Amino acid sequence: MTPYLQAIGIDKTYPGGVHANQGVDLVVQPSEVHAIVGENGAGKSTLMKILFGVEQPNAGEIRLEGKPITLHSPRAAIAAGIGMVFQHFSLVPSFTVAENVVLGVEPRNGLTLDRKRAAETVHALAERFRLPVDVETPVERLPVGQQQRVEILKALYRDARLLILDEPTAVLAPQEVVELFAAIRSLTEQGRTILFIAHKLPEVIEISDTISVMRAGKMVGRVAQKDATEAGLARMMVGRDVTLKVTRAAPGPRDHLCRISNLTVKNDRGVDAVAGIDLVLRTGEIVGIAAVEGNGQSELFDALGGLRPIESGSVEIGKVDITDASVGERRDAGLANIPEDRIATGSAGGASVAENIVATELGDTRFVRHGLLDSKAIRKHATELIAKFSVRVSGPDSAIGTLSGGNMQKVVVARELSSEPRVLLVSHPTRGVDLGATEFIWQRLAVARDAGAAVLLTSADLSELLSLADRMIVLYRGRVVAAFADTTELTPEVLGSYMLGFAEQSAEERKAALA
Amino acid sequence: MTQGRLFLSETGRIAFAAAVALVVALVIIFFASKTPLETFDVLLTAPLSSKRTIGTWIDDSAKLALAGLAFSLVFQARQFALGVQGQVYIGGLLASAIALSPLGHSWIAIPIGAAVAMLGGAFLGFIPGYAKAKLNANEIVSSLMLNYIAYDFTNLFLRLYLASPKSGLTASDPFPPTAVYPAFLPRTRIDLGIVLALASVFVVWFLLYRTAWGLKLRLTGHNARFAAYAGIRSNFIMVSAMTVSGAIGGLLGALFVQGTGFAKIAIGFEAGLSFEGILIAIVARNRPLAIPFVALGYGYLRQGAQLMGYRSDVPAEVIGIVQGVVILLVASSFTVPGRAFLTRLTGGRPAAERATTP
Repeated sequence: MTPYLQAIGIDKTYPGGVHANQGVDLVVQPSEVHAIVGENGAGKSTLMKILFGVEQPNAGEIRLEGKPITLHSPRAAIAAGIGMVFQHFSLVPSFTVAENVVLGVEPRNGLTLDRKRAAETVHALAERFRLPVDVETPVERLPVGQQQRVEILKALYRDARLLILDEPTAVLAPQEVVELFAAIRSLTEQGRTILFIAHKLPEVIEISDTISVMRAGKMVGRVAQKDATEAGLARMMVGRDVTLKVTRAAPGPRDHLCRISNLTVKNDRGVDAVAGIDLVLRTGEIVGIAAVEGNGQSELFDALGGLRPIESGSVEIGKVDITDASVGERRDAGLANIPEDRIATGSAGGASVAENIVATELGDTRFVRHGLLDSKAIRKHATELIAKFSVRVSGPDSAIGTLSGGNMQKVVVARELSSEPRVLLVSHPTRGVDLGATEFIWQRLAVARDAGAAVLLTSADLSELLSLADRMIVLYRGRVVAAFADTTELTPEVLGSYMLGFAEQSAEERKAALA
Repeated sequence: MTQGRLFLSETGRIAFAAAVALVVALVIIFFASKTPLETFDVLLTAPLSSKRTIGTWIDDSAKLALAGLAFSLVFQARQFALGVQGQVYIGGLLASAIALSPLGHSWIAIPIGAAVAMLGGAFLGFIPGYAKAKLNANEIVSSLMLNYIAYDFTNLFLRLYLASPKSGLTASDPFPPTAVYPAFLPRTRIDLGIVLALASVFVVWFLLYRTAWGLKLRLTGHNARFAAYAGIRSNFIMVSAMTVSGAIGGLLGALFVQGTGFAKIAIGFEAGLSFEGILIAIVARNRPLAIPFVALGYGYLRQGAQLMGYRSDVPAEVIGIVQGVVILLVASSFTVPGRAFLTRLTGGRPAAERATTP
C-alpha cells in the first residue's frame, strides 16, 4: 500500500544553529492515527511545521500519496489537503462558530457572506464527523474543548485529508479527551488520516495505530500500537529508564501551617473568580487542586502569592496574617511560588541565570550589603544551584531566555526551593517540560514536602496531580465542589465529573476532607 | 551567545548601519551639491580640520553622551519618559542663577551650580514618575508636556531676571570666569564637562550593574511582572529611575551654560541636542559603557554635517536623514541582507526546491 504521507531524510537547521531535525524519516499510512512522541526539543514541532509548510527543510523530500510535493507555505499545505490544529487556537472570539470556520473561504451571496448557507454547511460538517457544536454561538462563549472542535472543523471545511493535531489533549479535561478521541475515530473511519503530537503516553497508546518516537532531532523508533508500552516508549524518548513515581508523604498527624479562610478573589473583569474558599495546609503534605482551566485556580494562586488583591477572607502562615502583605513580606514569612508561566512571570528573559536566581533574595546579606551586590557570592550560589538541579546551561551568566523550557523551569524551581520555604505554591510545574526534567522536578517537590513544607499544587495534568497530591480538592466555577482526604483510590474519571460540574459532594463530605 | 560574540555582532551591526547611512548621505549630496566629492569630503574630514573643530566634536560628544545616559537609564527600566530636554533647561537655568549670583565670583559656583542643576532636573524627572505611580498618568505625555513648561518657564525667567539688555533679551551677560568650566586645551571647548560626562558614565554603570537598586531596575525593565512576583517594589524603582535620570539631565543643563562653549544662558540653548540622546541610547542598547563610543561616532557625523552646512552648498539637514537611517537600521533587528541572494549566486538553491528535487 502506498503510504499517504512520506517524509524522507528531512533535515532542518535553524539560523541560530539548532539542528532540530536530522535526517528524519516518517511514514504515515492512509486512515491511521499516527502519533509522534518525544521530549520537548526533540524536533516534533519542527517536523510538523515543515509538513504544514510553515518552515522549509534544508534537505529531504516530502511525498503525498507517492508523489513529491513542495510545501512552500501553509497555503500550499492546505491546498494539498493537509490541515493543522495548533496548541494556541487562532479564532476570532466575537465571531460565531460558523463564521470562524468559513473565514477566508466564505460562501457568498453576491458581495456579502451567505450566513445561512455557512451555518448549514458547517452544521452538516459537524454532524458528519461527530464534532457536535452550536454553529451560531460566538466562539468566546465556548469551553476550550469545543473551541478545539472549531479548529478541527476549520481544517475539515478546507477539505483536509490529513489532520495534524499539536498536543490536542494538553488543554482538555478527561471527558473532553474522550469526546475528542471519539471524533478522531470517526474521522479515520471516513478516510481521514491523523498525525497526533503528544507526550502523555497512556493517551497516545489508547488512540494511535502507530507511534513514531523522536529524540534529539532524530527519529529513533516506530512502534505499532499492540507492541507499545509506556515504559518502553519513555525509554526510547529519554534514552534511559524513567521512573515517574514519587514516594507519598509518610502518614501521621501533621501540624496546621497555612490557614485560608473564606477567601474571595476577583478576576480581571471584577467578577468573583473564587468565593468563600476554606482550606488548611499542613506541614509535610501536598494538597492538589484539580480544575479545568479558568475555574479560579490561577486567581487563587495569584492572590496567595500577593500578585492579586484579596477581596475578603484571610490567609495566615503560622501565626502571621499575610492577607494584605506585600510579596516581599510573604516571602519573608516563608512563602515561595512556582508560577504557572515561567516566561511571563517566573523569569526575566534578558537577565542572566544568576540574576534571576538572586532576584528574590535581594534583602539577604549573603548577596547584598549596603546596597551593593556581592557578584562573587551571587554567581557562586547560582553555580551551586545549577549543579544541584543539573541545569544544562553554559554558566551562571547566560541569559535565562536562551534556555530550553525544562531547564528554565529547573532554574525557577531551584530558586524557589533554595529559600527552604514553609509554604510552597506550585502551578503547572512541568507544563511543556520534558520527561527527564519532570521526573527531577517531581522528586524535588517530594523532597521539599518531606522537609516539612506545605505544598499547594495545581496542574492541568491530572496524572501529575494524582501522582503527587496527598489530599485533593476540585474547583468548579470558583467553588470547592469536592475534596478528598486520600488520593490513592482516586481516578481521573471521578475527578473529571466534578471538574466539569456534573457532580458535587455534600457539604459534610467536603468539610471532613478539608479540615 | 557569549558577551564577546554579542559585542562583536552588535558592533558589526552598528558599523553596517553607519555605512548604509553614509551611502544614503552620499546619494543625497550627489544630487544636491554642485561639487559632490568636495562636499562629501567636508562631511567626512572637516571635524578633524582644526584644533577648534576637534574640541567642538569632543564637547558635543560629551553632551550627547550625557543625554544618552539619561535616556538609557529610564529605558532600562522600560519607562518611556522623554523629559530630558526640560531637565536640561531647568538645570541650565538654575546653574545660571548660581553663576550670575554673588557665588559666581568664587570657584564654588561650579560644584554648587552642578548640584543645584541636578536637584532641579531630578525634581523634574520625579514628577512624571510620581504621577504614573499614583495617578497612572502616561509618562510619555506628562514628560513631554513638562518639556514645554520647562522651556517656557526658562525663557520667562531669563527675560525677567537674567537677560542682558545688550543681547536684546535673548541671553544673559557672560558668566564670571570663576563660574565657567576650566578648559584643558586653550581656545577649544574641551573642558571640565568631559570629565563630568565620563564620571557620570561610570557612576551610572556602577549603579546599574553593581548595586541592588540597579539589578532591581534592570529586572523591572526586563519583565515587570517578574519583578512584582519576586517582591521588587517596581513603583519605587520606576520613580527613582526617572529621578536619577532627571539629575543627569539637569547636569547636562549645567554643562551647557557653564561650559566654555556658552559661558552664559541663551534662549533655546540646547538646540534639540537632548532628543538626540534617544538615538545614542538606542544604538548603545542602553549600555552605559557603550554610550561614550556611540556618542563620539555620532558626534563626529553630526559635527561633519554642521561644518558641511557652513562650508559647502548642502545644508546640514542631511544629518537628520543620516540619523533616521541609522535609527531604522539599528532599532529594527535587521541582519546583514543578501545572504539568500549570495547562496543562490554560489549555486545553492532555496531549501524548498531542494526538498523535492534531491
